[in-house]
Amino acid sequence: MLATVLARLMQMAFVMFGISVLVFLIFFATPGSDPAARIAGRNAAPETVEQIRHEFGFDRALPVQYGLMMKRLFITRDLTSFVNRGQKVIPQVLDAVPATLSLVAGAAVLWVLGSLFVGVVAAAMRDTVVDRGLMILSLIGISMPVFWLGEVMNLMSQSRFHDTWLFSWVPGLGYVPLSESLGGWFKALVIPWITLAVLYIGIYGRILRANLIEAYSEDYIRTARAKGLSPTRIMLRHALRTSLLPFVTMFGLDFGALVGGAALLTEVVFGLNGVGRLTFHALQNLDLPVILATVIYASFFVVAANALVDVLYAVIDPRVRK
Amino acid sequence: MLVLLLVALLTLLAPLYAGYLGVDPFRSNLRGKVEIAGEVVQVMQQSTEGLGLGVTPIGPTWNPGGYMLGADNQGRDVAARLLYGGRNSLFIASAATVICLVLATLIGLAAGFLGGVVDMALSRILDVLWAFPVYLLAISLSIVLLTSTIDLGLFTITAGSLALPVFIIGIIYVPYVARPVRARVLTLRHSEFVLAAVGLGLPTHRILRRDILPNLMPTIIVFVPILLALAIVTESALSYLSIGVQPPDASWGTIIQDGQTLLYSRPAVALAPGIAIVITVLALNVLGDAVRDALDPRGQVR
Amino acid sequence: MTNWTRYAALTGAAALLSATAVTAGAETREEMMAAHRGGEIRLVAAAAGGTIDPQINYTLQYWQLFYFTYDGLVTFKRVEGAGAGGVVPDLAEAMPEVSADGLTYTFKLRQGLKFSDGSDVGVDDVVASFQRVFKVSGPTAGTFYNGIVGAEACIAAPADCTLDGGISADAASNTVTITLTAPDPEFLYKIAVPHASVLPAETLQEDAGVTPIPTTGPYMFESYNPNESLVMVRNPHFKEWSVDAQPDGFADSIVFDFGLSAEAQVTAVQNGQADWMFDQPPTDRLAEIGTQNADQVHVNTLTAFWYVPFNVNLAPFDDVRVRQAVNYAIDRDALVGIFGGPVLAQPVCTILPPAFPGHEDHCAYTQNPGTDWTAPDMDKALALVAESGTAGQKVTIVVDDTSVMRDVGTYLQSVLTDLGYDASVNSISGNIQFTYIQNTNNKVQMSVSQWYQDYPAASNFLNVLLGCASFHPGSDSSVNISGYCNEEIDARMQAAMQLATTDPDAANLEWAKIDQAMMAEAPIAPLFTPKHVDLVSKRLGNFLFSPQHQWLMSQAWVQ
Repeated sequence: MLATVLARLMQMAFVMFGISVLVFLIFFATPGSDPAARIAGRNAAPETVEQIRHEFGFDRALPVQYGLMMKRLFITRDLTSFVNRGQKVIPQVLDAVPATLSLVAGAAVLWVLGSLFVGVVAAAMRDTVVDRGLMILSLIGISMPVFWLGEVMNLMSQSRFHDTWLFSWVPGLGYVPLSESLGGWFKALVIPWITLAVLYIGIYGRILRANLIEAYSEDYIRTARAKGLSPTRIMLRHALRTSLLPFVTMFGLDFGALVGGAALLTEVVFGLNGVGRLTFHALQNLDLPVILATVIYASFFVVAANALVDVLYAVIDPRVRK
Repeated sequence: MLVLLLVALLTLLAPLYAGYLGVDPFRSNLRGKVEIAGEVVQVMQQSTEGLGLGVTPIGPTWNPGGYMLGADNQGRDVAARLLYGGRNSLFIASAATVICLVLATLIGLAAGFLGGVVDMALSRILDVLWAFPVYLLAISLSIVLLTSTIDLGLFTITAGSLALPVFIIGIIYVPYVARPVRARVLTLRHSEFVLAAVGLGLPTHRILRRDILPNLMPTIIVFVPILLALAIVTESALSYLSIGVQPPDASWGTIIQDGQTLLYSRPAVALAPGIAIVITVLALNVLGDAVRDALDPRGQVR
Repeated sequence: MTNWTRYAALTGAAALLSATAVTAGAETREEMMAAHRGGEIRLVAAAAGGTIDPQINYTLQYWQLFYFTYDGLVTFKRVEGAGAGGVVPDLAEAMPEVSADGLTYTFKLRQGLKFSDGSDVGVDDVVASFQRVFKVSGPTAGTFYNGIVGAEACIAAPADCTLDGGISADAASNTVTITLTAPDPEFLYKIAVPHASVLPAETLQEDAGVTPIPTTGPYMFESYNPNESLVMVRNPHFKEWSVDAQPDGFADSIVFDFGLSAEAQVTAVQNGQADWMFDQPPTDRLAEIGTQNADQVHVNTLTAFWYVPFNVNLAPFDDVRVRQAVNYAIDRDALVGIFGGPVLAQPVCTILPPAFPGHEDHCAYTQNPGTDWTAPDMDKALALVAESGTAGQKVTIVVDDTSVMRDVGTYLQSVLTDLGYDASVNSISGNIQFTYIQNTNNKVQMSVSQWYQDYPAASNFLNVLLGCASFHPGSDSSVNISGYCNEEIDARMQAAMQLATTDPDAANLEWAKIDQAMMAEAPIAPLFTPKHVDLVSKRLGNFLFSPQHQWLMSQAWVQ
């Protein structure tokens, strides 16, 4: 067991190392990415640009630059942004976490509840109009690009119907910290939550339905039925319980990816200054220190969620332990 | 399926529609005039109220005779661009799907069949790519490649060509396909008929071609509609962030982006391509379900 | 220093289009102060503007703030409109005494000035500040301040910079003397910009980044987080010494919030959650704010222009006829429409913006050439392209990814297609586009760019943008994007700059001729002069604007 965990940790470290190297190389492959001139400012004399290049170490060999940057990121923890000079990268990422976490956690609550409802109702009313309707709706939810849905939501709540009773409560775009105002936080996030959750309600609802239906054909459910247990009890106590395992697995992976910054599009559309938006702006500005920090942060969550799910599996299902 | 054919057909008819209207969807038409209900009006209308700030393109006329969905910021007919844009979106999605499947199959075959060090190396590389959030990878690649020309020896991809999004989208989904393909190859590799073929000393390429590939096909085909749907959505997201298809070319994503700057005054510009994407992707998903039920009843592919 | 006020008179012709600038009327400053002092001004922007080190930051966004937080020896007069082109003494008691050969400037520092941390402002601080410009490798160290004796050594080895022989202080007489290597009629402008701010001598010799440096003006920086906000509060040690140079402010604090999209900024100002938005309102909202918020909108002329640099060293633009053809073919009115209509922009054919020193109305590339642009001349353009035999070649236009810039690029692509070229547009991130198009290694044929004045002198456009000295092949910092270098015109520019020290009027006439001579070779295509839209909250009063400082924030009130 310990060996498995160790191997797992090694693998995580390797993946994160690989990603940081990849990002670093992608960055330096870009023409016009040399930050010296941008840092120096418009119409700077060539000598000044040269000075800056030397000062920031851009004239050193790539592996050395990579090593220095990693050292400043992890050991001295004083790596600063190229664009907002003097701004430390680590606090910048940490500052962005609450917005992302609020967005993803709220959406997760919505999508778990929503998909449980969709999955259970559709499975219980299998092959009826309700089932078909729910499945079509789920598919539509899966098919909508999240940024477009966000735009449409914005259009309705910020512009077209902003002055009607339905959306007059919607505040301007942007994140309101929880510490500042609970009501403001909630109001600012309701629409982003719904937008982000729609896709996952669709996916999870459909999978849950399929699993439930599969479970119904298993022996123990048949036994339970034969015993004359009520259909509700069978559904909730027996079928749902077994069907939830894959559900939880997927949830772990998706949640990890989203907290890591995969909610980028939602954050950009709604102007929430979370990790995803930070990453996007850093990419646009080719702000390498911030890109490295956010991407390593993001991959950490992906890898960690993955490992956690594996470990959970090993605990629950001894066969996986080899 | 029918819906898909219809969408494809409509987009193929784009030149006909544009020709019928006598509009050029790739040419700015800032000084254009159009006749609506017997009245000749400017396509780009200067605000005359208040301080007279701002110029707004005309809105939807709901008349197939021209500017059915209004004009965009360049005074171009949105309906005509929607059809042309659909062509690009579908083309990019299809080409990206092909690239992705070919690459993923090759990697899956190499890793699964050869095993050992090759498998180890490929799997680790896939792990790295897999832990890189899809959109982040796509955006990083796009930002880098938009400023440079790639020379792949056989052919060059110049910045701003359609091949660029094709290439990027094709690559980023490789890990998602290669993993299940590798798993399937592994199973096949240890199946009795392959072991028998190896035992008989048949050449590897023959085993691959005759025994493994045909049995791999169902797994690959299941991915086609799923990948198409993913590619359409990804392409639109990249174009929406202005790092996909470059102007004056259109795709559904770029039209949404054009429409975003007109969201308050002319929402139809952003709504129409979104609806087109939803319809197409929905049809693909339905098709995907059907294919999966037919080829992969045990749900190995997710 | 009549030279400087003369420029001011010239720029006074600038059409000031303040929609409803609340003017002071008959009230005196004391009365206004009594009535309106206090409160908090809230500003919003999509993103922060980088470091708050005034000697390094080179953005309009923060220069606007530096003008009421930091001071140099001299500064641009804090008045509405074009009068701001004039230089007035700031930390110096009076305008400097200039030696007869124009090489030595002697400033006498005011007595009793204090930094916001309570320490005294002394002549040593002035000397240290000038050295610091080089020690931190300031962006303009090698372009604005390289004329000071000893500057060359400082640029080569910043750490050991002394400016020996270039700047000296005399504590007894409280004077600072600056010596130049050659007379420079623009020197006072160059030391009036924020890069020559006077900072405490003990300020660290590196980019301050997000750490505030003590100020001398009515406000000081309290805290700065580029992801959240920049907070400015009253400087407790500030005593008004000159209303012209650094008037006291009305509001008690000014808070600059970051992170809202332009759309959201408009809504925030409309709802009174913010008093002013930094970014320009999206074109989509212009019609709306122009009618619903007409009394909150201020439209002002900028001394700036949007232009297309042609790479004169790459086909097809190495042929002057092609560059002229594109100039003829561009429908500048259509571009004005993209920018928001005639109220917000004015078509131009000259490099120097209207009402700028040296500008003379002239347009060669139009139907019926004369003083103004009227309409594109497609026939002439097509004839020129046919003559050049370049039709069918591939042309890529590099623009940044802002929506207006993309629209301009898309329109130009359409023009080039009409001229027979195989044209495409490439939009890249705004943050790298400006350096990308400068580097000759990237082989950019044509791009779209903009230039805003640093100070009101013709050379700040002509010599900077198209002089041989600003062309550095292979460098990301080569602001002569066209790569245009005409030895003869360059010599004329050097002569005009020298002429300006003795006869500025004659020099400006010569600059106008140089402008026309350059445009005859068409290394660029000027597009239009933009106007600046300021959307302010209902409660904000006394909105004053000058092309040099933009909105004079310290002079507005919110109660």
